[in-house]
Amino acid sequence: MIVSFPHMGSPVPYKKIFECLGHDVIVPPVPSQRTIDMGVKYSPEFACFPFKVLLGTYMEAIELGAKVIISSGGHGPCRAGFYSEVQQRILQQLNMSVEFIIFDSPNHGGYQDFWHNLIRLKGKSSWFHFMRSVNLVYHMIHILDQLERQLEIKRAYEVVPGTCSKTWEKIQEDFSNLVNVSKDLKAIENLSKERIEKINVEVPGEDEKIRIGIVGEIYVVMEKNVNMKLEEKLGALGVEVERSQYLSHWVDYNMIPKWIKHSHEEAILKKGEKYIEINIGGHAKQTVGHIVDYKERGFDGIIHLMPFACLPELVSQSIIPRISQELDIPVISFSIDEQTGLANNLTRIEAFVDLIRNKKRRLIYNKCVAGL
Amino acid sequence: MRIGLPKALLYYYYFPLWKTFFEALGCEVVVSNETTKQTLDNGTKFMAPELCVPMKICSGHVAELLEEKVDYIFLPRMVSIHKQETFCPKFLGLPDMMRYTIPGLEEKMLAPQIHSHTERVSHPKDYLILREPLEVSLQDIKKALKQAEKVWCDFRAYSKRGYDIKNATDLALGQVTEMELAEKNKNPFDISIGVIGYVYNIYDKFVSMDLLNHLENLNVNVFTFEMLDEMEMEMELNDMKKAMFWTFSNKLLGTGRRFYHDTHIDGIIHVTAFGCGPDSFVGKLMELESNECHKPFMTVRVDEHSGQNHLQTRIEAFVDMIKKKKNALKTQKQRRA
Repeated sequence: MIVSFPHMGSPVPYKKIFECLGHDVIVPPVPSQRTIDMGVKYSPEFACFPFKVLLGTYMEAIELGAKVIISSGGHGPCRAGFYSEVQQRILQQLNMSVEFIIFDSPNHGGYQDFWHNLIRLKGKSSWFHFMRSVNLVYHMIHILDQLERQLEIKRAYEVVPGTCSKTWEKIQEDFSNLVNVSKDLKAIENLSKERIEKINVEVPGEDEKIRIGIVGEIYVVMEKNVNMKLEEKLGALGVEVERSQYLSHWVDYNMIPKWIKHSHEEAILKKGEKYIEINIGGHAKQTVGHIVDYKERGFDGIIHLMPFACLPELVSQSIIPRISQELDIPVISFSIDEQTGLANNLTRIEAFVDLIRNKKRRLIYNKCVAGL
Repeated sequence: MRIGLPKALLYYYYFPLWKTFFEALGCEVVVSNETTKQTLDNGTKFMAPELCVPMKICSGHVAELLEEKVDYIFLPRMVSIHKQETFCPKFLGLPDMMRYTIPGLEEKMLAPQIHSHTERVSHPKDYLILREPLEVSLQDIKKALKQAEKVWCDFRAYSKRGYDIKNATDLALGQVTEMELAEKNKNPFDISIGVIGYVYNIYDKFVSMDLLNHLENLNVNVFTFEMLDEMEMEMELNDMKKAMFWTFSNKLLGTGRRFYHDTHIDGIIHVTAFGCGPDSFVGKLMELESNECHKPFMTVRVDEHSGQNHLQTRIEAFVDMIKKKKNALKTQKQRRA
């Protein structure tokens, strides 16, 4: 099969698993203005932003010759689970028909479809090989996320701007080209760690450090090409960043049964219970839970990202002012869509970071004065 | 005890049930006034700007009720009324959204979680948390629900016989008789239009800008989704690989498809409010199907800046076009004969 997939974060794990199973993989171009324009043109006006970017990505992949698109589904109430149904119809009308393989959670009675999809994905390789590939990619996702988290902290203090981002590109390349079996993982991981070690940094004192957590809807949080490369921007302003969404968390929470491994996400959901009682779909409850979690861990501020008119995130956005007040933590909310003006948002981010920095300095100053 | 019912969202679908229920429990039911520009402006003050219009209207009604000195405001968390389907996330998070944004609401809010497999949302288990604030027993709740369920079933039966929501509500609550209504009902006209849209959009005269009356004045028979049988709607959705997750959106799509295939319906109008997520998909699917079925389809989208005049013009043009098309077909047939 000539398969393609939508971007979300680093494309390496997705690419790897399909390659391991013997498929021809077309990595679509990273979402660009062209992708967004194409998607917007054929999407319903009030569809959420990821729907439009995904549609554009699929169209670009089809142009490059993709015959099958593999993506995840869902069972609501968030709209994301229904994307592919509408996208398929739209592509059909444009004479760009393509086969979709959508992995829905088998828990909703769709065992047959799930099984059927697995067999399609497995292709001609043996079940043993299939399990081995899944295992390889599972561990790769965890390692990549750990490495990325180290970089997110280091980026704030790099001496030569852009080193961390370049290192991250290199690490991804290494994993993409050099890892073929599980045995390779350890060596490449060490190599990557060395690369990260080599980055020159100037770390200030603990009082001067600023930590910001990025929370919100998974796609706009993870895909840097639609969220204005927020992490890099914050890093350049000297801010340590942690995201609420990593691929490894998503996989642990959605794919691994609870009796094997309790995921980090469950604890987070518990923390959000006070503000949003039940799971309302998407990542709204996680968003709220993560804000509480970041506050407990001593973060200085939160940036909340959501696609324009995202149903679940609108609920969390409505509640955020109250949480911010109750927990005494600054939160700024960005809703992202095709109209996003970069300059305007950057100014807002800079101002936000300045405010946090001033607030922190004033606190420390007050403490010193009191201490005298 | 005075219970406030905001005249918004599912009020239009469940009013007969909730009114009977609370009155059977010995409470007085206070309903907020019809939506006005003021209501929406009030609501906009509290809610996030991107939220959909119906939610903003709802918060406007809640704010109005708070001023009315009611003891409690009933804002159920509608989770599910159909197996494997839910409501839109905003309904699921409605009580959370309201209590954290409207000052003074938290202590007065009654928010039972409605998690039912049928549309008759009268499972006593869902209403248990009302025992303490209303000072009633489980037995009282059971009895009241039984009574309420009966009234609501009557209401649905009237709807399915073609009465619109207002008339069906009055009939079910015994405020008018069918005899009185029959006199008002005129002869059916020769053009029929199916209007698809959520109850809180088409029956809220402010949101729909009184679309139904406009259509009637233009001598058009109007059909809406609640007049159809559930089975009919579900049949229409059978060929979909995956149904949508939202009960009422599925109903709208099923109804829309039914209208496309029904030869008595000449055109379809979709009424939607700014920012409605599920509707963005329903609308697109309907639009795609309109091309295949060769039936006129029009979308009317409403937000807080909408003016009435453009709607009048558009609807008149839509109806005129259908009339012309129909007449042309008729003369063609006559000539052939």
